[in-house]
Amino acid sequence: MSILKSLLKMRKKKEYPVQVEEAAVAGPDLKNLNLEQLKEKIIAEFGSTIDLSIDELKTEGKDALLVYLTTMIDTKSLKETILQSISGQKEGFHLSTEDDLKSLCKEKFGGAGYQLVETFDEIIISLLYGNIIILFKDMEKALSLSMAIGEDRSITEPSTQTVIRGPKDGFVESITTNVSLLRRRIKNRNLRFERFIIGSETNTTVYIGYMDGIANEKIVEEVRKRLGKIKVNAIFESGNIEELIADKAATPFPLALNSERPDAVASNLLEGKIAILIDGTPFVLVVPAVLVDFFSIAEDYYQNFMMGSFLRIIRYVSFMIALITPSLYVGILTFHHELLPTPLLLGIIAQREGVPFPAVIEVILMEVTFEILREAGVRMPRAVGQTVSIVGALVIGQAAAEAGIISNIMVIIVAITAIANFVSPTYSFAAAARLLRFLLIIVSSILGLYGVLIVLVFIVAHLSSLRSFGIPYLSPVAPFIIEQQKDVFFRFPIWSMRKRPAYLKTQNPEKFPKTGSPSPPPMKGDQPN
Amino acid sequence: MLKENISLSQLLTLLINFLLGSAIVVGVGGDAKKDAWIAIAVSIMFGFGIMLFYYFLISRVPGKNLYELMEMGFKRPIAIIFSSIYVVYFLYLASRVVRDFGELIASAILPSTPIEVISLTICLAMAYILYLGLEVLGRTSEIFTPYLFGFLFLLTILLFASGNADLNEIKPVLGDGLKPVLKALFPTLIVFPFGELIAFSLILPVVTNFKYCLRVSLLGVAIAGALLLFAMFLMIVTLGADALLRSNFPMLSSAREVSIGNFIERIDALVVFIMMLGILVKGSVFMFAGLKGLEYTFRLPYRYFSLPVAMLVSAYSVLISVNFGDHWQEGLEMVPYFLHLPMQFGLPSLLLIAVLWRKRKKKAKPGTKGMKF
Repeated sequence: MSILKSLLKMRKKKEYPVQVEEAAVAGPDLKNLNLEQLKEKIIAEFGSTIDLSIDELKTEGKDALLVYLTTMIDTKSLKETILQSISGQKEGFHLSTEDDLKSLCKEKFGGAGYQLVETFDEIIISLLYGNIIILFKDMEKALSLSMAIGEDRSITEPSTQTVIRGPKDGFVESITTNVSLLRRRIKNRNLRFERFIIGSETNTTVYIGYMDGIANEKIVEEVRKRLGKIKVNAIFESGNIEELIADKAATPFPLALNSERPDAVASNLLEGKIAILIDGTPFVLVVPAVLVDFFSIAEDYYQNFMMGSFLRIIRYVSFMIALITPSLYVGILTFHHELLPTPLLLGIIAQREGVPFPAVIEVILMEVTFEILREAGVRMPRAVGQTVSIVGALVIGQAAAEAGIISNIMVIIVAITAIANFVSPTYSFAAAARLLRFLLIIVSSILGLYGVLIVLVFIVAHLSSLRSFGIPYLSPVAPFIIEQQKDVFFRFPIWSMRKRPAYLKTQNPEKFPKTGSPSPPPMKGDQPN
Repeated sequence: MLKENISLSQLLTLLINFLLGSAIVVGVGGDAKKDAWIAIAVSIMFGFGIMLFYYFLISRVPGKNLYELMEMGFKRPIAIIFSSIYVVYFLYLASRVVRDFGELIASAILPSTPIEVISLTICLAMAYILYLGLEVLGRTSEIFTPYLFGFLFLLTILLFASGNADLNEIKPVLGDGLKPVLKALFPTLIVFPFGELIAFSLILPVVTNFKYCLRVSLLGVAIAGALLLFAMFLMIVTLGADALLRSNFPMLSSAREVSIGNFIERIDALVVFIMMLGILVKGSVFMFAGLKGLEYTFRLPYRYFSLPVAMLVSAYSVLISVNFGDHWQEGLEMVPYFLHLPMQFGLPSLLLIAVLWRKRKKKAKPGTKGMKF
């Protein structure tokens, strides 16, 4: 016990200092160095990289250095605006104090997003983010001007999570474009974004976005805290962040929603959730995520509520199909023949007559083959796309069955499983079914349907224990909230869904005042007068 | 130790599943033959009384469970002795529940699989759930309960649709007089399943919104009682009294009668699902009650004990009796008199008196001081 206690204590001590905003800002101040030294120091920092440009220039009666990374800035506008505006010299004006510098900036770069930087490390960071730095002789502060350019992919339709009816724009790799996509959808002053720099080597920009006055402050604070705790060298994709801030690592289920669709993220923000945008990826994270989020998509709300509800139920059903069909096949064929009606059973047995494998081997063989085909389909060059589908269709569909390696019914099982798996709107969630399927198949081959049930109990228990940012993963089903059932298995008409999810404990639980169902204007004869 | 809470709806589903649990597997009130449903109807009244009694006991000191109350009533050393007895009692009951289920699976679903494997796997599931905590148990039962109702509903429809249910089977009502009903009632039906609610004396104190606890508990007893009554009714009209009495698992036997258009047949799997859920919850609640006792005794979080204790339960579920007949007889003739009655009513009554006495003494003290003033 005492060992356990001391272990617990040790774990507590290891708390990381909370790091918010900017990477550590320190280093030598500018005032102790003259221009020559600064130049040498910058060159020493960046080494012999070819895209560093340090120009000497004289402006406002002072020697100055213009420093930038040529690959990170818009050289055209540098020449057009900056150089023109600072090269002209004013008569009798000498830059000597900080106030002079400020007034110069106001005059020449007003509105251009200038910043005064003090330390050497700040300069380096500014350069890396695509700013140009102007260092004046004998000045304590340097001027940093934002001039970043990145070749952006233009906004296109998302390649995942496509819809039939709904907006066709998707997030892109540039974080500023993504923020603007959200801003354009929610024209509300309460939409807040906060910046984090994560990754000690990549210094990736990460924004969190939330609706002030709606989102639960505690959850926002928790997101800030977890992002601040991240101590890795590199962040390239939202998946990296997702893994680092999840409540639990050992689970096949995703604990954060990811979306390429601005409309989906915007509607989630208005529900009181928090978006995490990462520079360099079109996938935006939404936390906290609960299981039902992975079954509802934006399009549910764009079409008739009956159709929306129907499609949602189809999604739940197909998740179950994708999860358990192969194991049911194995279980029934191995242990429970009696569950099938006799004619069907005879048909299956007759088909399997020539098959040399037991059902479980047959299923695993085919499932693995399918997974290989699927992976090949994703990875291979587009140009040879046809090949895999032809080979796959021939191998799986026909040749294997004709050769007597597998039965025809097996082909149907694999096909229905695969298609049902593709229904899942979020790829990361479908992955859970893909993995757990194999566990179910193996247990089912040992314990039959009873084994399937046991594994399902394990899965449900596991799901009940999961939390996403403190929110139980299975809410609002367990813990049961009756009000929220309007948006779980069914999608109720929009006018009836007035409440934000209660499990999020939002600051403003009501979306809009009570309105009845829309009704036609009264007919002429109906009016009493 | 971690503070856990379960909601009222979770309490409700736990109660329903707990009461249905093994009662629906083995069938209760068989002594009353055709009038078993009357015996059950009467026993629901007793169920209310029992629930009220346990609630009264627990609500004397808010937030304290059975073991902590014992410490209050008898001081710690005696409380440890009593709680150890309760731990053994609860774990024994958990083993019985697991054995019931093991026999069911071994005889109906997986005839050539040894019962040890069934016991082990279901105990592993229970251990996992309890390791994750009471909240997870509550949520799991919350998730599965709608399916329980759904399957029961489906089974009813199928039985009536296939024409196996014959309402004339219940006639004559009270054909043998009241005697068989009373025989079924005392004590078997009262101690099983309603008396076993003693395990909830460990769960009631952690329910949020304790105010409505009594109402919800009584509602739970009512719903579970009604379902039990309905299930028994269904079994009687499907099987008839004789087959009911002869069958080890009457619910399963009645499900086997279903046959519609030579296509929907042998829906045993559905019934086993209903039963498995009940068993899982009931076994887990008993195990939880036992684990709480260990937590009280050793002052260690109960999660630490969940796996080892589950393994013990699994082993004992196989060892407690040589065969199903033995197990059955033990359950009907020994357990109610020598275990259930003292543990469900004797000790708690003693405890209630002790607690009330202590409380009065405590109250009296400041009173006398006030007199001096």
